[in-house]
Amino acid sequence: MLIENMKMALSALRSNKMRSFLTMLGIIIGIGSVIAITSIGDTMRRMFSDIYKDIGVTQGFIFIGYWIEDERESDYFTMDDIARYKEVFGDRIAYADASASLSGEIRTRLTKKKFEFTGIDYNYMDVQPVTVRYGRYLNQSDIREQKPNCVMEASAARDLYGTENAVGRTFRIPVNGTMTEFNIVGVYEKEQSAIQKLLMGTGNGTGYGYIPWTLLTHPNDTFYQYHYFADPSMSEQELTEFNRELCAYIARTKDRKPEDFYLQTAQSEMGQVDTMLGGVSAAVGGIAAISLLVGGIGIMNIMLVSVTERTREIGTRKALGATTRDILIQFLTESALLSAVGGLIGVTLAVGLVSLGGAAFGLPVTIKPGVILMAVGFSALVGIFFGIYPARKAAERDPIIALRYE
Amino acid sequence: MTGGEAGRELIRLQDLVKIYDTGSLRVLGLDRINLRISRGEFVAIMGHSGSGKSTLMNILGCLDRPTLGHYYLDGTDVAEMTPDELSAIRNRKIGFVFQSFNLISRMTIEKNVEVPMIYGRVRPAERKQRARELLETVGLLSRMEHEPNELSGGQRQRVAIARALANRPPLLLADEPTGNLDSQASVEIMELFARLHQQGVTVVVVTHEENIAAYTHRIITFQDGRLISDEINEHPTPISEHRGLSGRMS
Repeated sequence: MLIENMKMALSALRSNKMRSFLTMLGIIIGIGSVIAITSIGDTMRRMFSDIYKDIGVTQGFIFIGYWIEDERESDYFTMDDIARYKEVFGDRIAYADASASLSGEIRTRLTKKKFEFTGIDYNYMDVQPVTVRYGRYLNQSDIREQKPNCVMEASAARDLYGTENAVGRTFRIPVNGTMTEFNIVGVYEKEQSAIQKLLMGTGNGTGYGYIPWTLLTHPNDTFYQYHYFADPSMSEQELTEFNRELCAYIARTKDRKPEDFYLQTAQSEMGQVDTMLGGVSAAVGGIAAISLLVGGIGIMNIMLVSVTERTREIGTRKALGATTRDILIQFLTESALLSAVGGLIGVTLAVGLVSLGGAAFGLPVTIKPGVILMAVGFSALVGIFFGIYPARKAAERDPIIALRYE
Repeated sequence: MTGGEAGRELIRLQDLVKIYDTGSLRVLGLDRINLRISRGEFVAIMGHSGSGKSTLMNILGCLDRPTLGHYYLDGTDVAEMTPDELSAIRNRKIGFVFQSFNLISRMTIEKNVEVPMIYGRVRPAERKQRARELLETVGLLSRMEHEPNELSGGQRQRVAIARALANRPPLLLADEPTGNLDSQASVEIMELFARLHQQGVTVVVVTHEENIAAYTHRIITFQDGRLISDEINEHPTPISEHRGLSGRMS
């Protein structure tokens, strides 16, 4: 019986193609925009979470607030401070440095190239994994003894020396005004996600490398920022709690209130992105709901027309033995199908457009099958809901009057 | 289909009254009708418009309920049934043939013949088989895939008759079946009814035309809501022999 109803509904829709299509438009637009926006939202969310995974989701920076007017020497960080935080918080701090970097230009026989060197501790690889291609990573003695050693990113090494195996080469670059000669002890390669490649680009000409962070202290041995990675095994809640606790501890040791320090964490930034995307989704959801409502009313209207046009058919069917329920289900099936087909077209259009957009920007697009199922199911529900009134009208027709209808 | 049971009572109307209540006005549609029709009869119900024959037709067809009295169809009193119970009775017990055919457009004629079987919850394979048999019987098997609007009036009415026979109902009820047909097609249709009657189907034809009623074996006449005459037609119009019914009827 259900199959029969589906067949009947399909043939009814087919016999009025243009009218069916126009009726579906509201649903097509509504469902299409929902799918498009949720897909774009999911894609962006994944993009951001990829970026944060790359830079470390437990990462944080703490520094004295820019709004503090009576800055004191003690508001900055010393190497002793950093060692002490590690003692106090133990394994909860997975990694820490002073967020210092060095930029400059390196000249070789082949070329000259701008570089940016990040000052790191020996265990930076634990939180920012790289593959060492040649030589070795920086080690504890490099850091402790402030050796001018460097691990260089592979493509930069190739640019400079014509070969990725640049281990043993040296270059000169000024550190705090003093020209320093660095030894390349290793060459690394870093995996980049598609999004990172898109954002960073590969050909902006800047080369990257790591040097001991202990080289980048100012003469008076203080740093402006404390940079850390918390233990990645923490839950989101534990991480929030830890960030707060660490900031409060630092403020207390520096005789400040916690709110005097600026706590910038990857977690809170991700939260902001999520909030923003959530807001966009909610706004579009509202628009889509209105569009579905309008679409549903359109369906109700056309079904009422259809019921009137087919009064004789209804009368005939009743005379031939159709019950009230049979007629009700026939027309409900028709309106549900009308709406679901509209939903399906909307989904197809949206998936097509989003995939096209993704291809154009070189982004992997996230489209959840569950969302598609839900959209089609929901549009069918819209059809059923708005089909109830016309279907009841049809079902309750008196067969004698319906048969006499001209 | 019903040959073996010919003579047994199929329809009994007992003091049947139908009053139309239009609020301000009460109209007596049928006035104390008593009537028996047996299985295997070929009956015409005649009368002018307003005579009550359409009202009777609606009640006999279980489309409407009497105000008073009883209507026994095949042994069951249907006067007190609910609309959905009546739907089931119509589906199983009555085959309708209408003046304006009332085939469903957008459907092949084969599908049209299947409609009563769909509501009778007959399995698809069986439905198809039966529809083909019936279309063969009315000589339209070759047009099976056509839609009603591709057929002539007479052909459409033959499809309607095939549809009416789909669930092997004991009663075939035709309401002015030749009203929209030319005289040649009218003859074809009446001869088809006559042959169905020969095969044992009970046929009741409502008509206002004498020459149509002349094909039947019993003519019941209505006037002003009353049954005024009920006569045996000793000499029904003979049917031509050359166009025999093909196929089986059961």
